[in-house]
This record gives sequence, C-alpha cells and structure tokens, in this order.
Amino acid sequence: MTDPSIWGIMAQKGYSRRDFLQFCTYAAALSGLQSNAVAEVAQQFTTKPRPPVVWLHFQECTCCSESFIRASHPIVADVLLDTLSLDYTETLQAAAGHQAEACLHETMRDHHGDYILLVEGSVPMSADGVYCTIGGRSAEDILKEAAEGAAAIVAWGSCASNGCIQAARPNPTNATPIHKILNRPVINVPGCPPIADVMTGVVTHLLVYGRAPELDSRGRPRSFYGRRVHDTCYRRPYYDAGLFVASWDDENARRGYCLYKMGCRGPVTYNACGVTKWNEGTSFPIQSGHGCIGCSEAGFWDNGPFYQHLAAFPGFGIEATADKVGTVATVATAGALGAHAVWTNVRKHKAIKATIDESVNVTSDS
Amino acid sequence: MSITLTSPSYKRIYVWEIPVRLFHWLNAASLIVLMATGYLIGHPATLSHSAEAYQQYWFGNVRFIHFVAGYVFMLNLLIRFYWGLVGNRYARLRTFFPKTKAEIRELWEVLRVDIFEFDRTAHPTVGHNQLASLSYLILFVFSVFQIATGFGLYAAMSDGWVASLFGWVVPVLGGDGATRVWHHGAMWFFVLFTLVHIYIVAYHDYVEGRGTTSSMVGGWKFEREDVLDRKD
Amino acid sequence: MARIVVDPVTRIEGHLRIEATVENGVITDAYSAGTMVRGFEIILRGRDPRDAWAFAERACGVCTTVHALASVRSVEDALDIHIPPNAELIRNLMYCTQMVQDHVVHFYHLHALDWVDVVNALSADPTETSALAKSISRWPKTSPQYFADVQNRIKRFVESGQLGIFKNGYWGHPQYKLPPAANLMAVAHYLEALEWQKELVKIHAIFGGKNPHPNYLVGGVPCSINLDEVNAINTERLNHVGYLIKGAIDIVEQMYLPDLLAIASYYKDWAAIGGGLSNYLVYGDLPMNGVRDVDQFKFPRGAILDRNLNEVHEVNGRDEGEIKEYISHSWYRYSVGDDTGLHPFDGETEFNYTGPKPPYEHLNVDEKYSWLKTPRWKDHPMEVGPLARMLVAYAHGRDDVKEVVHEALGHLGVGVEALFSTLGRTAARGLETRLAVHWMKEFYDDLITHIKSGDTRTFTQDMWEPETWPDVAEGVGMSEAPRGALAHWIRIKDRKIDNYQLVVPTTWNASPRDANGQRSAYESSLLGTPVAHIDQPLEILRTIHSFDPCLACAVH
Ligand code: HEM
Ligand code: HEM
Ligand code: NFV
Ligand code: SF4
Ligand code: SF4
Ligand code: F3S
Ligand SMILES: [Mg+2]
Repeated sequence: MTDPSIWGIMAQKGYSRRDFLQFCTYAAALSGLQSNAVAEVAQQFTTKPRPPVVWLHFQECTCCSESFIRASHPIVADVLLDTLSLDYTETLQAAAGHQAEACLHETMRDHHGDYILLVEGSVPMSADGVYCTIGGRSAEDILKEAAEGAAAIVAWGSCASNGCIQAARPNPTNATPIHKILNRPVINVPGCPPIADVMTGVVTHLLVYGRAPELDSRGRPRSFYGRRVHDTCYRRPYYDAGLFVASWDDENARRGYCLYKMGCRGPVTYNACGVTKWNEGTSFPIQSGHGCIGCSEAGFWDNGPFYQHLAAFPGFGIEATADKVGTVATVATAGALGAHAVWTNVRKHKAIKATIDESVNVTSDS
Repeated sequence: MSITLTSPSYKRIYVWEIPVRLFHWLNAASLIVLMATGYLIGHPATLSHSAEAYQQYWFGNVRFIHFVAGYVFMLNLLIRFYWGLVGNRYARLRTFFPKTKAEIRELWEVLRVDIFEFDRTAHPTVGHNQLASLSYLILFVFSVFQIATGFGLYAAMSDGWVASLFGWVVPVLGGDGATRVWHHGAMWFFVLFTLVHIYIVAYHDYVEGRGTTSSMVGGWKFEREDVLDRKD
Repeated sequence: MARIVVDPVTRIEGHLRIEATVENGVITDAYSAGTMVRGFEIILRGRDPRDAWAFAERACGVCTTVHALASVRSVEDALDIHIPPNAELIRNLMYCTQMVQDHVVHFYHLHALDWVDVVNALSADPTETSALAKSISRWPKTSPQYFADVQNRIKRFVESGQLGIFKNGYWGHPQYKLPPAANLMAVAHYLEALEWQKELVKIHAIFGGKNPHPNYLVGGVPCSINLDEVNAINTERLNHVGYLIKGAIDIVEQMYLPDLLAIASYYKDWAAIGGGLSNYLVYGDLPMNGVRDVDQFKFPRGAILDRNLNEVHEVNGRDEGEIKEYISHSWYRYSVGDDTGLHPFDGETEFNYTGPKPPYEHLNVDEKYSWLKTPRWKDHPMEVGPLARMLVAYAHGRDDVKEVVHEALGHLGVGVEALFSTLGRTAARGLETRLAVHWMKEFYDDLITHIKSGDTRTFTQDMWEPETWPDVAEGVGMSEAPRGALAHWIRIKDRKIDNYQLVVPTTWNASPRDANGQRSAYESSLLGTPVAHIDQPLEILRTIHSFDPCLACAVH
C-alpha cells in the first residue's frame, strides 16, 4: 500500500518537498504558530495516516458545515481527501440509514481512543430527548457514546458551545451545549457560524500538534477568540474620535464611521472577524455596514434588541432599557423629595420655629 | 448693647476626621466624574463629521477619564475601609451595620421622624443615624459591585494587574455584554443616592440646625448638652 | 411486504426519517418524518420585530439568507415600508447568489452520488473522459492529463483504505448507469464545484458581511453606497461582485448544465418515476418594481392543479381560506382541536410529543409521527420548489422560461410530461439556475445604472422607530427559497412580536398526512418507486434528494 501520510499523498500528487514545506508553513500560520514550528508541522504530516474524524449533527442549522466547506486555506477538498478521514457526517457522506450508522460504529470501534469528535448543534435535554432523534436514538445517547472513545472533542459553533438560538428564552427544548453534558474537556469554537478558516485552523492544530490549542477559561482557542472584535476593528479610530453612525445610510454611515450607536456588539464580542475576516478575507459584518450582533458570545440571542447599544433588562419588555427605568426613577425621586420638602415645612414648622427661637438672640438697644 | 442667650447650651464635637472628610469629597468627585463619563460612554453624542478621526480623540479621552476616575474611586474606598478599622468611633465600619435591638429601633424611628414625619420631634444622633448608615452600606456594596464589573470589563483592554484581578467577574455574569448591562444599570443607583443624600443632608441642616453640611468640611458637629447627657 | 427505515437520510440538511413499505420490489406506502425541533416560533414571541430576521435566518445555514429576506419583508408588509430600489436590487443579487450556489452544491455534493459511481470512475480512460468533456462544453479543464491526475488522486484515496465520506456508499449498485468516463468527469467536477462554491457567496460577504448568515435590515440593506469612500460599497466592491457573477455564469453554463444533461441522458427512465403530487404552488420572487407589484416578478406567482398547465390560479397569502396548517399527524396541540387547520396569522405552536420513547424501531404512523406541520393550499397538498416555479412560469407563458425548458427537453428528446418526475425536478433546478445566474447580471447592471444616475439610497428611515408603529399590525413576507415557496407571517402588538409563523418549502413537501389522510409530496412521490435491494435505499434517496430536503427549515 502507498504511504498514507500527508507527505506521502502530496509526493504522489507530484508536489515537491518545497511545496510541502510551503503547505506546512500555511498550516502553521493558520494555527497561529511561529515559523520555527514549521519543522514540527512537517514532521507530523510526514508520519501520520489520515486521522479518523466523526462529525455529529444535532439541533443545528448546518451553517457550521456550510462554513467549513467555505474554507480557503486549505480548501475543503484537500482537507477531505488528504488531511483527515471524515468517516461520518450526515451532510456530505454517501451512505444513508443503516449504512451511515455502520460508518459511525466502525470508526468508534476500530479507532477507539483515536478519533476526533466534532459536534455541530446543541442537545435537547428535556422530554427524554424526543426533540432530536437520529436513527431512533436520542441526541444525548449518541453524543455520550461517541464522546467516550474520542481523542479530542470540538464543539462547532454557538449551538454546540453555548446553545445558540434554540437556547434563547424560553429555551423550549432545553437545548444544552455539549460541554455541559460531557464531563471532559471540550474545545469550544463559537460563532454563528464560526469563520471557515478558523474551523480548519482548529482542526489543523489538533492534527499537527496532537493536542488542543491554548484555551481560555471558556474553552475557546486563544488564537482566534483572544480579542474582542472591537479591538481589531478597522473602524476603531472613529470610535475613539467619537464619530458615530446615527441612523442607517446617513452621511456618517456612508463614510464608514463607527457603528457603536447602531448597537454594534463588537465591544463585548470575542472573535477573529476583524482580522481573519469572512469568505477568504472578503469582508466582515462591520465592514459591510451592519454592526456586530455578537454571534460568538454565549447568550447573544437574549442580549437584544440588536439595534440599541445595551440589551433590554430581562422581564421589562423590549424598550425597557436601564436608562428608561433609571430616568423614570430619577424623576420620581426628585418629585418625592420636592414633596417631602413641602411636607416638612408643613409638618415641622413648629419644630423649626422652636429651633429658631431657641437660638442665640442678639438684641441691641441703641 | 446687651446680649440675651435664650438657647440651650451646645457642645462642639469633632466627628469627621480628616481622612473621612478627604474620602468623602474625593468619593463624591470621582463618582460625579464616573457617572458623567459613564453616561457618555453609554450614549455618546453624534458629532458632525467636520473633523476626521485623526484630528480628534474625544471619546477615547472620555473613556480614559472614566478609567482614571475608576482607579481613584477604588483606592479611595480602600483607604476608607482601612480608616474604618483605625479611625474614631464615628468612622468605624461597624457603625454601618445595624446590629443591636436599639439600633434597629432607631432605624424605624428615623423613618418615622425624618422620612414619613409621623413624629414631629427631631431626633439627634451624633454620628450617622441608622438609616443613613444603612444607605452608606448599600452605597459601599454597589461601589464594590461597580468596581468589580468595571475592572472586569477593563481587564479585556488593560495590562494592569488590578484589572486582571477582576477577570473572573465577566464570565460569572454571562459575558461582556451582560456585564455592561449590569454596570450601566447600577449607575442609576448612584444617581438616585446622590439626589437623596444631598437632599437629606440639607434637610437635617435646615430642620435641626446643627451644622450637618459644614461638618463634612470642618469635621465639627453641634449637639445639645442635655441630649448628650441622655445618651451617655 | 417489508418495512424499510432510512434514518438518517444523509446529504440533506437536518434530520429526516423515511419509513416505507415495499412489496414485490416496489414501494407501496411511505411516511416522512422530521425528527428534530427547536421551537423558533415560540422563541420569537415577545421580541423586537426588527431583530426577527436574525433569528429566522438561523433556521437554516444552507439556504441561509432566504428566511432573513422573508422576515424583513413580513415586517415591511406589516408596517407598510417601501424600500429604495437599490436595496431591492441588492437583495435580488443576494437572493440569486444563494440560489445559484445552493443549487450547484445540491447537484454535485448532495445529489450527484445518487447517479454517479465514484469507485467506477477508477476504471475510466482519461482520454475518453477528456473527449466526452470536450464534446459537451468548452470548460477549460478537460485535458486527458487533468482527468488522469484526478483519477490517480481518487485511486490513492481508495487504496488508503480510508474512504471517508465515500465509505459504505452504494458503489456497484445495478442502478448506477453511467459509463466510467462520465463517472470520472462527474467526480472531477464534484471537486471543482466544491472549490468554486465558496467563491460566489463572497457577494453575501460584500453586501451582508459574511456567509453563511449575512446581515439584513428592515427598511433596506445595511451596506451604504459611496463611490468616494473606501469604507463603503465603492467601485472596487462592485467590480468584485461583477467578477463573481461572471465566474458563476461560466460554471453554470459550462459545467453544471452540460453535466446535468449528460447525466440525465443516461437516466431517462427516471422521467417516469417519482412524480408524486400533481399540484404546484409558487409565491413568486425577484421583484423588479417592489414586492407589491407581483406582475413584475421574475418568478411569477400562482398555483397549478392537476398538472393543468392551461390554468394558473391566483394565490393570496393573507386570505384566511387559502393557506392553512394541519397537525393531525404532527407532534403539536391546537387550542381549537388537532384536526382543524389554522391560517398562519392565527397559527399556534405548542409541542405535544406522543411518539415512542427513544430508542425506538418504528414510529406509530397511524397517529402523530413528525415534527413538521402539514400546510395545505385550499386544502390541496402542493409540491413547491424549482419544478413548481418552472411550471408556473411556463404556464404563465414566460418566454425566457419556455426557451430554456424547451431547449433542455429537446436535448433529452422527451416531452413536457417528463417534467413531472424525479428527473424533471432535478432538471428544473438546473434550468432555473441558468436563468437566475443571467438575471444576476441584469440586476448588477441595473444597480450600476442607478448609482450612475445619482441615486445611492439603500435604506428608508420610515417607520424605523417603534414609536411610529401602530399598536397592532400584521404582515406576510413571501419568497421563493431554493426549495420552494417560503413565507413568514408576523403579528406585531405593542411594538413586540405577538405571533410569528414560518411555513417553509420543505414543510410543504416533507410533511406528514393531513386530517383527510392526503399525502404530501415526499410520501406520494415515493409510491411506485422500484427498489432493487431492499437493504440499499438508493432509489429512495434519488427521489427524496430530487426535492433537496431541508428539515431544519421545515421544522424550525
Ligand atoms: C460608581 C461608579 C461607576 C459608574 C457610575 C460607572 C458607569 C459606567 C457606565 C454608565 C458605563 C457605560 C456602560 C455602557 O453603556 O456600556 C461604564 C462603562 C465602563 N466602566 Fe464604569 N462606572 C463606574 C465605575 C467604574 C470603575 C470603578 C471602573 C474600573 C475601571 C469602570 C470601568 C468601566 C469600563 C471599562 C467601561 C466600559 C468602557 C468601554 O468599554 O468603553 N467603571 N461605566
Ligand atoms: C456624589 C455625591 C456624594 C456622595 C456619593 C456622598 C457620600 C457620602 C458617604 C459615603 C457618607 C458617609 C461618610 C463616611 O462615613 O465615611 C457621606 C456622609 C455625609 N455627606 Fe455626603 N456624599 C455626597 C455629596 C455630599 C454633599 C454635596 C454634601 C453636602 C454638602 C454631603 C454631606 C455629607 C454629610 C454632612 C455627611 C455626614 C452625614 C451623616 O452625619 O450621616 N455629601 N456622604
Ligand atoms: N425548505 C427550506 Fe430552506 C430552502 N430553500 C427555506 O426556506 O433550506 Ni434550508
Ligand atoms: S451555531 Fe449558528 S451557524 Fe452553527 S449550526 Fe448553530 S445556528 Fe447554525
Ligand atoms: S464598529 Fe463596532 S467594533 Fe468597530 S469600533 Fe465601532 S463599536 Fe467597535
Ligand atoms: S456578529 Fe459574528 S461574525 Fe463577527 S463581527 Fe460579530 S462576531
Ligand atoms: Mg411553522
């Protein structure tokens, strides 16, 4: 049999060793590595057969899969044919029904402890799991079984890493992110969806280094979620200068000023959009003129309305911002104080008079 | 010319030591700055676009002032807490907590006398009265919350070790977005406190005529001797 | 009699389960069930109507955009907002971008493996493949060496023993009819299309910031046009759009259409299989003069009953008597009784699962058995989608549509009746892609003309502020998603969403039976389908995939 390593495959395809090292440099750069790590990348790709990968789908919209196939470096065809062995994914695999389930079971059995588990979608935890079943089994059941023998687990997108839209109030199905179900570490790659090249970057990191990238306290790779969109936003100078868009398509919008006043969530959102950008670096939400809605933040759905700077206070209706409540309370208090002052003069005029009377009286008899 | 003294005799009492007075005014000043700049951060004015971004930095300055005032506010509060351990009897931290039966009774009494005015007789206390103490206690709790959320948010944009101490706050509250909502919402407590507090200080001065207002400047209050005798 | 269960149905979006009974190698009955629900209609209540698009859009990341479009239209209908012409053109461009990309991906990556035997491509002669490819189009990548390289790549892949997504496919099944050369060409194009599909959607990134899930805006589009500004839609951005459209025309004309016709010519027997229902419903889309001027739509609105192409019925989304949703066989509860149909303005969404507790072997198909509701038009089950669109436009006498339809039918040597089939559905998708990709150029040119004339508005401030809204308002936002007629109904009360209902293409097609026991499109199209190997559901996949199922859309 031919050399199944990535270098082996590339060599057969007629790539030179130089091309190969170039590829490794890309892979390294993608995973946020220094160039001296290229040797390590090359070493990994030279020796390993394509690692088995299982991609599970639960409560999702499949935008994570769609985003994944938008990857531009590496392109997804190369990922699928050369980099890994995607043994199960309902979106792309040829087999269906029992044959598909067999793919899953064979990988779980033959590569126990070795395969990478990628999960797209949240898991509904109420009503015995009837809100999401596949092959008659509940999502929870399938997830737990697949997680057991996985070498690493990645939660794709906001669904799997924080519940996303279906977990928005009142969360009718008790949609739950997978790190709350599995008691083992999960790499969270939030975003609705995550950026394609971030997704391939995370997978590449896992494959090349055989370990997870450095994660923050919420399980997110620092390489892509270490900074707020606001910190890398090219409109930041306008923010600091206090130049804001005040209404859509106004003069300031046409100049590309800061979208803060239009509800931009960039200041409270950790994601790589400002730098990596979307669709091969074509643009990102703010560049196209719409504020960030915070799609990679936990609970961003309940942080609306999206077109005002601050979320409404829960339970007060969409227009009840803290400021409206505060203003009303301030006016009411001022009124109460005024009333109190009047009342004091009525109720206490005797006491006040007594105080005046008992004070030092200076009489002069000139 | 003859002078007739018709008043009961008063004693002058040194109530607010210098650290307390310094704290008070620095606290008031930093809070006013924090409220003003904080409000602006939440609702920046839209300037016309005559000036370009490289010509101005006003919003950045507003934020900078907010952060500086935040440091002042926090350090000042820490010093006040320290003074609460070593200062005079009126400065002690324990005066902020209603504990004994008598203190709790006083709380109701102040409510009856000063707030609802069911009772028309003034009720002199030398230090804070119990209701005032409680309001300061609540103020301190909100201050700590505001410092925690403020520095928690600041952690994302600061290398300072102070900010990094509060990095844990943001995830606990559910992310930067939620933390800002709470931080912004809590501002309104300070607005309300300031309003009521200044009014009440004026009220006491007006009704009781014991120099309440100036006490925070000079430190001295006046107390009727007969009342002092009753108390001690 | 055997009961086949296909669950998961793969190469679709979402979670679909098909149960079918087979007698003497032919399907005699079929049940289609959606097995995942999220509760969008419940979640949307009480929110700001201007935010609804962002929620609704997340129903699906495959047809990403169309729910956002239907959503902003529903709000604009309720509040009587008229968006500027530039905004309409940009929305049309985004719409076509989505449709073209989605159809190409469907053909190559979701549907092709039902007709193309990947393993068989290994025995192809690259020179023969090259000759075949050159004979059907002037696509440049057709050298024998190119096909030899692709073949070698697949060979090494197969020899590695790790078949990945191709594992356990139905390779060698007797229903695969393509010669090796055609299989190899299709595999090569599978890979090329996979690399290309990420290109066209850059148009979404330019106007909407990202794909999947670009941004929309009630009252227009969020991007501003300013030719003198690097921070806005300027000449460079527009050039990029133009360039992407050009590439799309090439792919569709030189790769997708020729491949479609080449493959179809080997499967003409499927022009008599999988026809299913005989009623077709289209809401219409691509407004040329605002959404209120239905006559000026590129895709005309209308309904066809009993395959009668001589009569097109009018369709009204607001008429309480036309569109209704039933839940007799769906896991929901209606306050008015489960056998009553409700117009979406009065629609209700309350879960009521009565099926077996998982893990289960079979659903109880005599009772409730799906998370999809069952929509009906004047109580008729209707098929929606590309086929319905082409038929209604054809029946309307639209010249551009008639031309591409006749050309394709002529090429295959079949009559119009061949359209009412699995093959017809798949062909119709290709034909409308061809139309849409050229319309894109038209919209693009119109946009440039507009800007040239000095009109750069992309948003109207009218009714943006909630204070200006009436206390109660109702609206319907209709569209034609890639998979068919899509509409959102919104009721706004006190500036909040009071009720929000989505009735989605795949809800029409994949729904369970209605209160009268009438089958919807999937179930009826499977009747009579031959099944060669009872344990290999290839034929079921062919017909089901011809609808391009999207179950996340369907249930939401
Ligand atoms: C009682 C005192 C304070 C008040 C009333 C106050 C008020 C505010 C308000 C209203 C905002 C705007 C929030 C928004 O709308 O998003 C804000 C932002 C902020 N405050 Fe404070 N604040 C106080 C103390 C502090 C302290 C002690 C710090 C610590 C450094 C701090 C740090 C911040 C930060 C980092 C922001 C976000 C600014 C930005 O990202 O541009 N605040 N504050
Ligand atoms: C932002 C505005 C202000 C804040 C936040 C504030 C806060 C406080 C606090 C925390 C105390 C308790 C002091 C301690 O025990 O350490 C206090 C006491 C006091 N403040 Fe203020 N203050 C403000 C403005 C003023 C003003 C404008 C005056 C009047 C000139 C004033 C007069 C006093 C007096 C007289 C006391 C002592 C009250 C007592 O005997 O209970 N304060 N204030
Ligand atoms: N059905 C459906 Fe969609 C489409 N096309 C939506 O409206 O796919 Ni996800
Ligand atoms: S995270 Fe967002 S993009 Fe990904 S599946 Fe969930 S809803 Fe879709
Ligand atoms: S547009 Fe948003 S992210 Fe960018 S600087 Fe303004 S507030 Fe920050
Ligand atoms: S909305 Fe999402 S795509 Fe980026 S700019 Fe904001 S995190
Ligand atoms: Mg619905």
